[in-house]
Amino acid sequence: MRLKTRVAVLCVGLLASLQVLAADLPQRWVSAGGALSEWVSALGGESKLVGVDTTSQHPQSLQALPSIGYQRSLSAEGILSLRPDILIGTEEMGPPTVIAQVKSAKVRVELFSAQPDLPTLEKNVTHLGQLLGAQAQATQLLERYQQQLKAQQSRVAKLQAQHEAPGVLVLIGHAGGKPLIAGKDTAADWLLQQAGGHNLATHTGYKPFSVESLAGLDPEVLVFADRALSGEAAKAALFKENPILQASRAAKAGRVLELDPTLLVGGLGPRLPAAVQRLADGFYPAKGNP
Amino acid sequence: MTPLVKPRSLFLGLTLLCLLAIWLSLALGPVSLPLFDTLRAALRMLGLPLAPDGLEQAELILGQIRLPRTLLGLAVGGVLALSGVAMQGLFRNPLADPGLVGVSSGAALGAAVAIVGGSLFGGLPEWFGPYLLSACAFLGGLGVTALVYRLGRRNGQTNVATMLLAGIALTALASSAVGLFTYLADDATLRTLTFWNLGSLNGASYARLWPLLIISTGVALWLPRRAKALNALLLGESEAGHLGLDVERLKRELVFCTALGVGAAVAAAGMIGFVGLVVPHLVRLLAGPDHRVLLPASVLAGASLLLLADLVARLALAPAELPIGIVTAFIGAPFFLYLLLRGRA
Repeated sequence: MRLKTRVAVLCVGLLASLQVLAADLPQRWVSAGGALSEWVSALGGESKLVGVDTTSQHPQSLQALPSIGYQRSLSAEGILSLRPDILIGTEEMGPPTVIAQVKSAKVRVELFSAQPDLPTLEKNVTHLGQLLGAQAQATQLLERYQQQLKAQQSRVAKLQAQHEAPGVLVLIGHAGGKPLIAGKDTAADWLLQQAGGHNLATHTGYKPFSVESLAGLDPEVLVFADRALSGEAAKAALFKENPILQASRAAKAGRVLELDPTLLVGGLGPRLPAAVQRLADGFYPAKGNP
Repeated sequence: MTPLVKPRSLFLGLTLLCLLAIWLSLALGPVSLPLFDTLRAALRMLGLPLAPDGLEQAELILGQIRLPRTLLGLAVGGVLALSGVAMQGLFRNPLADPGLVGVSSGAALGAAVAIVGGSLFGGLPEWFGPYLLSACAFLGGLGVTALVYRLGRRNGQTNVATMLLAGIALTALASSAVGLFTYLADDATLRTLTFWNLGSLNGASYARLWPLLIISTGVALWLPRRAKALNALLLGESEAGHLGLDVERLKRELVFCTALGVGAAVAAAGMIGFVGLVVPHLVRLLAGPDHRVLLPASVLAGASLLLLADLVARLALAPAELPIGIVTAFIGAPFFLYLLLRGRA
């Protein structure tokens, strides 16, 4: 009995001291950026999130949180009604007057760059780790992330020395209909390069394509990201809506890969290395693969 | 047709409605403030020496967020409805709305240039950056309207029918140009453009408010002075001329006031449809076509309607926000239909 009480007191004391430590850190978080919310969750801060924007779709549990709208058309009073200690977002976040109003209500506003490169990511995750009081976890996550990407890079380099990079098209559609093709300067293009694919599209941004030019490019591999359907249903819809694709080399050889469209929003997220690996597996199929 | 409501009771009712809308707009929001705090903060801002304890948040939300937003709603709603009356009077057609002379599409084009091509204006001073969109929208609206007016003129006469057709042609031209910019835009700018086209009173600040307040007050003071002339114009252009009215000058004034007012409103709050078309109708259904009543009553009705619509816009999905253009159409259109059908029965 005595011992139990002592242990209990000790526990309470420990807890209290942790609370004191944590008191300086922001406790109620609002995040306005898909990748940022994902990193917060990955760093174990999901319970601190009290609101997210519409681009924060992953992990799925975030969708149950109050939505503050789209990151570029936030509402000051809406955010303040969640009584946050901190608002995080990318430089996309706005409109500027709203951000100023939130700041003047003594809410800490932290901006993170959405630049899709590793140094930026390193800075962002380290900073998030500090704000969440999870520095060690941040370092660990980052190390693993970089290792995975580096391993991918060397693997892709080796494969590219042996085989020619396959010509790929990335189609982003809604239930198969009228897909947009991912060109240069897109997150999809970056993913493709990391996985060792050669993007056949030469335009910039996401643009609609004529059926004829699709047929003319004759991709070896098709990657599709569907916002409405997933899996086999999405694949079937894609070919049903765009029968010309059935004649492509990719369709004949069955080299059609699926990509989660939420990966393509708002900078580099924690799920990217896995996605790169999956794409690379598809680009350079098993024969003689390590 | 005898009016359903006498002018005096109409003005009394609309004034009360407007005051109620203002009060609700200041008192309600996603942050729930105790009514007493709101009242005390409001009184303190009016200069009453009350103790400031515990009022910090209330004052901030009232003074920095809700008050500018309410003022913006009043000005935008009033000036849009007023321009609607002016256009319906000018074209002698109840289907006319401020968009007919190209001011909305011109503003949309200006906005598209600013949003999509914003990075091309590299040499602009930094302080101007936040105002680029508003300035471009305002100038675009003014420019296209001037062009429409110019195209409608021949031999010193303004032909309203030609102007109408020129307006339709230039609107189509401007929309295709907006379409081209939409095609060139990347994902983020595309969404900004889409949201802009749906309008919002979100993010109102005093810096953006002053130009609109000055312009809309000017228009709201000027146009009602021309009520008698607009009444005469209802008879027809030549009849109005025979009554000793300078019809050309009146047309010029109407077009200019609309371009200025709608241009400023759109620049401050984006495209908000429906108000300019339907508010004058509502008032006409209630009070008859006399412009001496119609003009001032439309200001009050437009301002009230927009404030109430904004209330829905900010509360319906709180903490997120609906674009107000969706709300004005969603509430207003069925109500309008109801009035039409009831009138027929």
